[in-house]
Order: sequence, then C-alpha cells, then structure tokens
Amino acid sequence: MFIEQLVNGLTLGSIYALFALGYTMVYGILLMINFAHSEIFMVGAYIGFWMLSCLPIFAPQFLPAYFLIIFILSMLGAGLLAVMVERLSYKPLRKACRLAPLISAIGVSIFLQNLVMLTVSAQSQPYPEKLPIRQFHLFGVQISSLQIFIFGLAILLMIILRIFISRTKLGKAMRAVAENHTVAQLMGININTVISLVFLIGGGLGGIAGVLNGLYYGSIKYNMGFLPGIKAFTAAVLGGIGNIKGAMLGGFILGIVEALAAGYISSENKDVIAFVILILVLLFRPTGIFGEEVTEKI
Amino acid sequence: MFRSLLVVLGILTGVVGCGQVPEGEKIIKIAVVCPLTGDIAAMGQGMKRGAEMAVEEANATGKLGGIKLELAAFDDRADPKEAVNVANQVISDTKIVGVIGHLNSGCSIPASQIYAKRNLLMMTPASTNPKLTLQGLKNVFRVCTTDDVQGSFGANYVLDKLKMTTAAVIHDKTAYGQGLAEEFKKQFESRGGKIMSFDGINIGDKDFRALLVRIKNEKPQILYFGGMYSECGLITRQAKELGLPVPVVSGDGIFTPEYIKIGGKSTEGDYASMIGMPPENLPAAKTFMDKFKAKYPEVDMQPYDPYTYEATGMLIEAIEKTNKEPLKIVDYVSKIKYAGILGETTFDEKGDTLNKTISIYQVKDGKFVYCE
Repeated sequence: MFIEQLVNGLTLGSIYALFALGYTMVYGILLMINFAHSEIFMVGAYIGFWMLSCLPIFAPQFLPAYFLIIFILSMLGAGLLAVMVERLSYKPLRKACRLAPLISAIGVSIFLQNLVMLTVSAQSQPYPEKLPIRQFHLFGVQISSLQIFIFGLAILLMIILRIFISRTKLGKAMRAVAENHTVAQLMGININTVISLVFLIGGGLGGIAGVLNGLYYGSIKYNMGFLPGIKAFTAAVLGGIGNIKGAMLGGFILGIVEALAAGYISSENKDVIAFVILILVLLFRPTGIFGEEVTEKI
Repeated sequence: MFRSLLVVLGILTGVVGCGQVPEGEKIIKIAVVCPLTGDIAAMGQGMKRGAEMAVEEANATGKLGGIKLELAAFDDRADPKEAVNVANQVISDTKIVGVIGHLNSGCSIPASQIYAKRNLLMMTPASTNPKLTLQGLKNVFRVCTTDDVQGSFGANYVLDKLKMTTAAVIHDKTAYGQGLAEEFKKQFESRGGKIMSFDGINIGDKDFRALLVRIKNEKPQILYFGGMYSECGLITRQAKELGLPVPVVSGDGIFTPEYIKIGGKSTEGDYASMIGMPPENLPAAKTFMDKFKAKYPEVDMQPYDPYTYEATGMLIEAIEKTNKEPLKIVDYVSKIKYAGILGETTFDEKGDTLNKTISIYQVKDGKFVYCE
C-alpha cells in the first residue's frame, strides 16, 4: 500500500511541479505572483481537449506522433497566451507599485475563467480517452501506464529546462535578468524579450500540466485551475519561490504528502495537513526549503 | 444640492419604471432558485426548465385571469453563502409570491429561514435532508422523499437484492451527502452489515486515489457514496483504474446522464436510488414527457425536471385558488391534494410529501436502467 500511495503522490506531484515552475520562474524575474497562471493551465487543458476531440482516431502506429503534436501545440498555445497576458496586463504596470500587477493578474484570472465559462461551457467536459491505458503489476503494486508516462514526461521536461537555463546563452540571460534588471540591460540584454521568454516557457509548462491533468482525471472545467493553482503555488513557496529546483522538488513533496495524508490519516483533512507542513517549513525556513539568502537590494 | 438631485433621479426612474408595465395586466412572479452555474449546473438548469414549462402552460391557458405569471430565475451556485444572499434578494421583491428551490439541502436550510421572515412559500423539488422540515417553519414544503427513507432503502437493497454485507462509505461532507451516507450506515449496520470505513472528501477535489487505495485493502463488496455526480464520477473511474472493481451505490445526486459522461465506461454496473417512480411508468407523467421532448428535443432530461414542474404546478394552483393573495398561499398548499404527474401529493404537518416511493436504477450500456 505504501508504494501505491507513493506512486499516486509522485504522479500528482509531477503535475504540481510542472505547474509550479510557471509561478516560480515569473516570481524569480518580476517578483510578482502570476495569479493568472492557473487559467493558463486551464486553457492548456482545453486546447488539448479540442484537438483530441476534433481529430479522428488514427491507426495505432501514428499515436505517439499524434500525441507529440498535441502536446507541442498545447504548450505553444498556452505559452503564447501567457506572453500575451504579460504584454497586455503586466508590462504597462512594470513601473507601478508591486500591488498593481498582482491585482491585474487576479483580474486576468477572473476574465479568462468567465470567458471560457461563457463561450465553451459551464459544465464539466469529459476528456477524450484516446490514449490506451494499460495496468502493470510491479512488486505486487498496480501502476497504470499513464502514471508512468506523466512522471516520465515531467522529469524529461524538467531536465530540458535545467539544461536550457544552465547551458544556453538565453538561459544565462534569464539568470542575469533575474539577478538585476538594470545591470542586465547595461550588458546588452533585451529584458523584454527575456521576460516574454520566461512567460512562454512557464505558460507552456503550465499548459502541458493542464493536458496531463485532463488525461489523468478524465474531466475538465472552466474553474479546474483554481485548486491545483493554489497547490502549485504552495509547492513553489515550499521549495523556495524563485528557485527552479525548489519548485520541482516542492511539487513532488506536496504530492507525496497529500497522498500519504489521505491514505493514512484522513482524506477530508489532507489539505489541512499539507498546509500545516507549509506553515511549519516557513516558520523555520522563511525562504522555503531550497530558498537562498538573498542580499538586500539597495 | 446632491440630495435633491438624488430625489429627482429617484422620481425619474420611478416614472420610467412604471411606464414599462402595460395597464390592466398585473404581473406576479415565481422565483426559481437553484445552481445555474458551477459544478452541478446541469441539474439546476433542468429545474429551471421544469419551472418554465409549468409557467408557460399556465399563462397559455389563461386560468389566472388578467394576471401574467413571470418566472424569475436566481443562481445560488450550490453555495450556502450565496443561497442566503439570493434569498434576501428574493424577499425584497414584493411581486414574488413563492419560491421553487433550492436544489442542495445545504442551501435550502439557511435560505428557508430567510423566506420564513416574510412567510413566503418555499417548495423544494430536490433537497432531501430531513433537517429542512424539522426546523418548524410553516412555509417550507418538500415534493421529494427524504434521505432517511432513501439511505435506508439503499442499505436494504444492497443487503437483500445484491446480497452483499460489507461496504465502504464515502461522503462529500454536505448536508445532503453526509446525511444520506449516515442514514445508509445506520440501517446497514442495524441489519448486520459491516461498514469497513466511513470517510469524507472535499467538493472540488479531483484525486481520490490515495483514499481508494486504502479502501481497496479493506476489500469491501460495494462502495456507497453520498454526494453529487461530479465527485462520484471521478471516484468510480479512479476506483476501477486502481483495481477496485466493486459497484458504486449512491443516491439521487448521481442520477443524471452527466454522471456517465464523467465516469465513462467505469460507471457500468453502478446503482443509483432515486426519489419517486420513473416518470415513464406513471400514466400521468406521459404527457409531461411528450411535452418535454417537443419543447427541448436536444436536451437529456435531468432528475428534477419533473419534480420542479410538479412543485411549480402546485404553486400555480395555490395562486389561482387563493385569489392571488400571497398570505393565503402557504395555508392553501399545506392542505393541498394535488393530482399531478407524480401521482397524488399531500403534505404532512412538517411539510414533507406523503408520496414516498424510491426506485433504484443501474447503469447498463451507458444509460440508467430502472431495476425496481
């Protein structure tokens, strides 16, 4: 049973971790909490939903290619939406007080939710089941191929992201902007491009988390982003907001804690337990588990 | 200066407002309050359809004389806080003579206390928690059967017909879901059945795997759920994915085609108890079914459409017979003998219907099929 709960927690954690990366990357570079990110997640799920329900069923040998296209297009769609949101609602407020873009983000979130509710549907939509799911028995534990797939894809994307940030020139530019906007600009970095890139990547990861969430739970709705959004944000804070490694591990930790709390203690209070752990971590390490001491900027 | 401007504005809007009503035609409003958006909007929209049909028919027959009935729909979003806000809006509109709603027991109970302030008639077609009519409010009536009847019916069915003696119970912590689950547990245990576990979940949660893995190790023969279709659909799907292939038994909260859409193939073989007889088995309901199909050819009927139609019909009869006097409507309904599409309805002194049948349905080939 313990291993089964661990598998459930890791799958849930993979989705939280992908989702949390968007919060943490934006915070790292703009010091703002992008509350509209939960709606990017929802829109990503809907883009995947449309493509899955429009396209006919292909021969099984095309299935991997077909899903690859769906994932790439959902990532792109969600990422471009995030870039647009930044350009229209955060960029004009970049010089304003820190509260202004935050409130703008809440506005965007309410707007997108209601837009989908009014134009698509106010009801839950069943997610098309086109991915064949097999059940495996490993060490007496039942694991579905979808759980392995979600975990594998999340790890793969995180590795790619880490390589991108630590090895490429654009990644270096991102780190520079996160450290200091003005100095980065003096070094010839176009900070607008870098900020857009952060929103594109963060939004894309959020979008793919949405598609995975839809595939895993089998139903989506216009307000589906809210609760996982809060959890993913919690994961980002738990790991140390602004820290990419922290968001990844924070997501997994939160997923596992939730699964174990629901399995061994009480399913109705699993959120209480997860948030109590967050509070405890913040009491003893206000910067999160992996948060680093940041020298005060003067 | 500012105050006089306001007075002028007030007079102006008053004049304009009066100008809109054609003379000689009096308007009386019926409020229908249910979740029109949110998680269980499908059922709420169905209730609105039922009420609309009854109001349109009454207007068409002209039996109310020079009065035009209007339906005012309000959205409580299945949220008790919102239900209280909406109830306050309803009692402030003096044209409203009666309320049809709410859907959720958790909403009906606090809202009923607000309607009682104005002794405004409230008839719920769907709230099944017994507490609603135990508050001693004179203005509250219920057209559907209660959870104590439904929960124990479910327990008896599992023991007698399915011959299963161990169950795991999950509920959604609402007045309806928890109430139903507790009644099931009480009856099941009193007759020698064994409840392996009794757990609550949060509405809006999507992941029940952790809980279901634990339940799987308890090896129950069935899973009883108290709550609504949006959570139950996910539970049945996840249970079967995890290798817990037992049938899910639940109440009227999952008796809707949306349940099968969310749960997919996993819902096959699940049971739902439902208040009343299936409308297609009642001769009086046949005309209603035909009218419904003619008016909404594209729509699947939801469980409470006929109940709301029936409740609205009773309210309209009361308006007609009491000569449109709002104060007498509550008295009239308490003594009503209404022969409608559900058979003959009368109310006991608490306001509960005496027409207490329960049916059970099973999912077969993607549809709810009547069992008994």
